[in-house]
Amino acid sequence: MKALPRASRLIALFCFSVFLLISFTFTPSYAADVGNCLLCHKYPGISRVDEEGKLRLFYVNESIFSNSVHAKVKCEGCHTDIKKIPHDVAKKVDCLVECHIIEPSSEKKFSHKDVKEFLGKSVHGPIDKEGKEKKYIEDYPTCKDCHDNPLYRPLSFFKKVRPGISEASLGRCRVCHKKEEFIYRFYNHVTTRLHKSRNPLNIAEVCARCHDNPEIVARHEMSTKAVFSYGETFHGKAARFLDERVPDCLDCHISKGESVHQMLPKEDPASSIHADNKGKICTNIDCHPSASPKLAKYSVHAEFNLKQSPAQYFFTVFFIILTGGTLLPLMFIILLDIIRRFFPNATIGRRK
Amino acid sequence: MKQFFFKIYMIAFMALTVFFIAIIWKVTFAHIIEEHHERTESQEIAKYKEEQVEKSKKTTFEKIILESDERVKHYLGYRILEEARIEGHFHHIGFDIGPDNRSYCVKCHGDMPHDAVKELRAFLNMHAFFVGCQTCHVKLEKTETTGVYKWYDRKTGDIVESPVKDNTPGTYNSKLIPFEKVDGKLVRVDSDERIEFAEEYRAHEKSLTEAQKSRAKKLIHKVVSKKPYLCEDCHQKEKPILPFEAIGYSKERIDSITSTEVVGMIKNYTQFYMPSMLQPGSSNDKK
Amino acid sequence: MEKYPLIKIKDGEKFFYRFTHNQRIQHIILAVSVVVLVLTGMPLKFHDAAWAPYLYALFGGIHYAPVIHKVFGAILVALFAYHVVYLTYVIHKFSILPLKKKEGLTTMKVLKAIATQPLVPNLKDAKDIGQLMKYLFYVTNVRPRGDNFTWKEKFDYWAPFWGMLIIGGTGLIMWNKELATMIMPGELLNFSIIAHSDEALLAALFLFIWHWYNVHFSISVFPMGTVFITGYMSEELMSEEHYDHYVKIMTEAGLEHEILPPHGGQEDESTEEGGASS
Repeated sequence: MKALPRASRLIALFCFSVFLLISFTFTPSYAADVGNCLLCHKYPGISRVDEEGKLRLFYVNESIFSNSVHAKVKCEGCHTDIKKIPHDVAKKVDCLVECHIIEPSSEKKFSHKDVKEFLGKSVHGPIDKEGKEKKYIEDYPTCKDCHDNPLYRPLSFFKKVRPGISEASLGRCRVCHKKEEFIYRFYNHVTTRLHKSRNPLNIAEVCARCHDNPEIVARHEMSTKAVFSYGETFHGKAARFLDERVPDCLDCHISKGESVHQMLPKEDPASSIHADNKGKICTNIDCHPSASPKLAKYSVHAEFNLKQSPAQYFFTVFFIILTGGTLLPLMFIILLDIIRRFFPNATIGRRK
Repeated sequence: MKQFFFKIYMIAFMALTVFFIAIIWKVTFAHIIEEHHERTESQEIAKYKEEQVEKSKKTTFEKIILESDERVKHYLGYRILEEARIEGHFHHIGFDIGPDNRSYCVKCHGDMPHDAVKELRAFLNMHAFFVGCQTCHVKLEKTETTGVYKWYDRKTGDIVESPVKDNTPGTYNSKLIPFEKVDGKLVRVDSDERIEFAEEYRAHEKSLTEAQKSRAKKLIHKVVSKKPYLCEDCHQKEKPILPFEAIGYSKERIDSITSTEVVGMIKNYTQFYMPSMLQPGSSNDKK
Repeated sequence: MEKYPLIKIKDGEKFFYRFTHNQRIQHIILAVSVVVLVLTGMPLKFHDAAWAPYLYALFGGIHYAPVIHKVFGAILVALFAYHVVYLTYVIHKFSILPLKKKEGLTTMKVLKAIATQPLVPNLKDAKDIGQLMKYLFYVTNVRPRGDNFTWKEKFDYWAPFWGMLIIGGTGLIMWNKELATMIMPGELLNFSIIAHSDEALLAALFLFIWHWYNVHFSISVFPMGTVFITGYMSEELMSEEHYDHYVKIMTEAGLEHEILPPHGGQEDESTEEGGASS
């Protein structure tokens, strides 16, 4: 496992790039692979180009998979149509399928069906209130547009030196629990859920795939390339420098405590960004609790754009002209001054 | 002397000043102009938005070639996982393996060349990931056969140590290539001469006549045998084609790839799918 | 006065007193904090640039750089406040008080006293700029004969003065956004950010190019003018940039016969150098 102390994380980000082969020390012996699917699927070359010219990769990286939230789900839990080896061409996975996991609080079989319901009612749902398909329905996201296999992001509170799993905490678990695999997974699950399951930059990148795509922005008449304009705010810039504490898209666009799949348009009175609720976003107890609701009037998505925010546009233009208008003449004076010093006595007129 | 250095210094500073003028221009007035253009551009996009659906259909080539280079970094706190992003792909890849720069086959056939038999192609491509094309598709004459196979680095093309022991199966940065005997000497099958010939053909392809083209192709593919080696030629205990031990496989790995599990599966496949694979007009002939 | 004579003669060369101890310390504090502020601020403005993360990491990344930025920002704001007080005190003591003793005060007289302070831009500066243009476009060989403070120095003074007012003010607003938005609308933050970052870019480029050219990189001062450390300026520079003032001081000191002739070109300079040292 790579231990990355906070301060050097940025540097590490750059040193640590192309060839990172699997470096998990915590790869529990537990295998979801009862069907021995990895016999073939552990080979990275297992791939083809499909009829539409798309790359299809069937490789599963076991050590990464076993550090993902789905590690306990058997392959057949999602790939339900595969019953035998060798198998026929597999169908696309339906994320709403009931898998073999039992949800411990309700003791029912687990499924992502609720998510679909939330998503359907949200601004991202493909069907509008009258039950009609929305325009450009193919632009609306499905599960895999935003999600790949979610990976654990465990926390460590024992020492503040490095993120990741704390040996000392595992030791405390071992006092009562005996099964290593259970301890490992439980630790991962709980501590991953205690903070953002994705870093703000990763969240912004996910949203940017659509919300910064100029075609989609134009087609749906959105007023801003949302992630771009977010990136120009302090929050966005801090996210870019890998700050975990700053709000990402979801923190403002979802009312605290609700599923992120319940994102509502700003016209909806229940939406977190509705004019009546907006004030509560910034004054949230975790953010700027001492601020007045007026703080939320700050327009996060203002761009340097005459049509979208004219006042800011002209304000910026003023400073641009001030900058250029001051500096460029001075620069030319410097330039002329240097040239002049080469020819100290090259006067055209007469000497005084 | 001092005068001279000062002159050099002044010229250098002059260049610096010009550079800064350019930068200041860029961040100030040019920025306003740029914004203006961007705005008109986005208005145009809005105008044509009705046609966008049509437009997005025709750009498959761009989509595949250009957009497939997208990369993501997952910030997991204790590590940063960087990998290529494939649209709609759920599982993580976790590492990169660079393109095969040596093989002249993939320059035309691509690095996922097998596509004829639906049920098998992924398997064959999986092998093509670490086994050079010639290993299966070249059957040497008795006099040329050496039984020597070596690994070459995908990036440099040089012969390297066997990667099998130190890596997870199949995740090698090198590929296997057979050696042949030419005038009593040991030469790799993808010799520099053959590569050169193929390269030259590719360079002149457009100016050649159809007859010349097919003759050149014949010559390039001369070494390729009509029927490639099949799965069970290697996946067997008695007399596998590949000298597993010599190319770095441990006892366990040999046992694993020649196990009944694997061999049994191959049998299943042979029964179901192999007949269609051996029919004329399938991938082997194309090759 | 004895500690800092107006003209100091060292090894036969004359040096002219320009900045007091207090002023020099103010300048050093200003310089250091501005450099730190630029280094910790620009990576945020240009967060997309390749160098930005490295430079930011040097100051402790997103966790520490903003803190450093605020600390030095606070120092600069404090310095600015001190400077305004200092300025008022100096004007009061050396211009208003003597005026009061001599003639008594009227509003007009006070305003006039302020308007004739040496750093306030005046008609002479416009003339000097005109003369400089003539010189730069080869109409004349004579450089403008600057007064005590030339137009360049006035620019150097007023640009950061205005800059600190804007940047400092908006910086304080953004720092205390909770407090600020109690009174003012949230949109103010948008404008604050624009003003803060754009004005900062202007100030940084202005200082690092224009100011540094005039005091460091220009051929007549290279590698570095020493006046900001010692408070004294060499005769050569004095006569090049502040000729009118130079003549005035020399005359007052009774050294009329040693006044150098005005010059423009370097050739003249070298002969004068020889003349001065002999």
